[in-house]
Amino acid sequence: MKRTSLIPSSAWVFLIWLILMTLLPFTLILAMSFLQRSDLGTIVFSLSFNNYEQLLDWVYLRVLLKTLWLALMATVSCLCIGFPVAYFLARVQGPMKSIGLILLFIPFWTNFILRIYGIVSLFGTNGLLNQTLLAFGLSKVSILYTRWGVYLGLVYNYLPFLVVPIYSSLEKLDPFLREAASDLGATRFQTFRKVIVPNIKEGVFIGSLFVFIPMLGEYVIPDLLGGAKEAFLGKVMVEQFFVLQDWPLGSAIATVLSVLLLGALWLQNRWSQKNQAQSEGLFHAI
Amino acid sequence: MLLNLEAVTKSFGGFQLHPLTLSIEKGEFFSLLGPSGCGKTTVLRLIGGFEMPTSGKVILNGRDITQLPPHKRSVHTVFQRYALFPHLTVWENVAFPLHLKKLPSAEIAQRVEECLKLVEILDLQDRRTHQISGGQAQRTALARALVGKPDLLLLDEPLSALDPELRMKMREELKAICKKVGITFLLVTHDQEEALQLSDRIAVFKAGQCLQVGTPKTIYEDPAEPFVARFIGAVNEIPGEIQGEAAPETGEVGLVSPLGTFKLKKNGQPLPQSVSVILRPEKMRLLRSKSTTQENLMEGEIQDLTYLGSRTEYSVKIGPSVFKVFEQELERLKKRRLNVGDRVFLAWRSEDAIILAQNS
Repeated sequence: MKRTSLIPSSAWVFLIWLILMTLLPFTLILAMSFLQRSDLGTIVFSLSFNNYEQLLDWVYLRVLLKTLWLALMATVSCLCIGFPVAYFLARVQGPMKSIGLILLFIPFWTNFILRIYGIVSLFGTNGLLNQTLLAFGLSKVSILYTRWGVYLGLVYNYLPFLVVPIYSSLEKLDPFLREAASDLGATRFQTFRKVIVPNIKEGVFIGSLFVFIPMLGEYVIPDLLGGAKEAFLGKVMVEQFFVLQDWPLGSAIATVLSVLLLGALWLQNRWSQKNQAQSEGLFHAI
Repeated sequence: MLLNLEAVTKSFGGFQLHPLTLSIEKGEFFSLLGPSGCGKTTVLRLIGGFEMPTSGKVILNGRDITQLPPHKRSVHTVFQRYALFPHLTVWENVAFPLHLKKLPSAEIAQRVEECLKLVEILDLQDRRTHQISGGQAQRTALARALVGKPDLLLLDEPLSALDPELRMKMREELKAICKKVGITFLLVTHDQEEALQLSDRIAVFKAGQCLQVGTPKTIYEDPAEPFVARFIGAVNEIPGEIQGEAAPETGEVGLVSPLGTFKLKKNGQPLPQSVSVILRPEKMRLLRSKSTTQENLMEGEIQDLTYLGSRTEYSVKIGPSVFKVFEQELERLKKRRLNVGDRVFLAWRSEDAIILAQNS
């Protein structure tokens, strides 16, 4: 009898990569989060929960809550802008659809830093917005280097990542459902509310979660657009590592963020498993 | 008349629906039959309100509904792929149109139950749509379309997704349900057998044009065009020229064709010069020898035969053409079985021939 390996040989490359690049650093971070920092900034090997206790301090809790709030606002804003866009793209046919999809994907192909500087040039102190305001005899507004700058950057950068899942769940919807609803007496609004929304809300929720969680750990956007004053979880974490040289505390923040992310993944997984169980029920019915 | 289409046309892409005038009576089971792309589904969508006609009028119960959107028409549809709402249970799917009408919940419950009983899926009412089979989904879709008591029920190839055995069963039920509920059914199908079995009347379509409207018997026995004859069953065709005047006592005329000269019975109307004579395979007989008969005879050789139990299908080569003959083996045991290569005579009666102009 031929010995069957548990892992196909082609998967080994990926597995080694995964272990070296993800699992190993992750384990190191996790381990480090239970260690201590000496006054000189070196790492002291004594196990404790001190770092996590420190995170319960109001200084950090405030940052966490502020970050959660800002990410939530940004996610909701992405939804408000992204949903109509996705809906339009899913409904429209012909050249408008291709143009719309290309426009949607252009940001994916543009350098991230470039996009951020795009925002700077638009909303900066001497940016296009302020120059326009001045031209109309109005006073300048400061958006950049405030929390609004971070908010704007988050919405702008994460919008496509939310439009795509909403668009795909709308595309997956049987187009005849709309006709069936209308045929059975539903107005356009009733069709939307009673047929479209219930069938895509899951996709929308998961899509939102996958925008929300990475927003929490965002470093570059708050760093470049938020200025020095605005504390943001991801930024605070990086500062622990590279400014304050407190690797153990930084690791603790990283661990908390990772746990949040894993929690979201688990939630999504459970959800899709539930759906799978439902479709397995189909075979029992037959 | 329940439904009148008055010179309805529709153009889109490269397709054109020729002016269509059609009337459907209340309680009738009416079918639109034709190959794919013939425009039958377009007609259905025009009636359902999913498409607007380019010109013409759609009149339902004496009211012009041409410009009304689907949700304002008393017309419900059973979609080809059912289009059940996946987020709702069977019961909720059927209740959907009643909820929209904001009926009292007691009435909704009663009417949904009635309909679920009618299509025999009451025991599945709490299932989700992905937990039921194709046949059950079909029944759910039917119940959902019937529950609102529309004036007209549209069925878009409703049985095409079912396996053959289930399809046969659903055909019978569909017909019974139509008569039971008294709602007018309008079926779109490309399956001629289905149309023949179910319909009170059939409209045959080809390339955006309605070629003939009639009862199944008329369509089969007296097709208006060779296309109709060919579409509604197997045919043998003999092209030829009419020769001479009808004999006064028999009403027979001569047909000169590449396969020989035959007698045809004239049915009153003047005949065109060039004709296509159509013979149904079951209206022809196989003879072993040239008997003294009044029937037309053609000599040929059996090229192929298929034994199907209730009948045997023969392919007989006569000159350059091959004729199909279906024979029921009535004279059991008496007749020695015919074999491939046997010389036979094909006999057909002049009155069984369908005589059509040769142009199409």
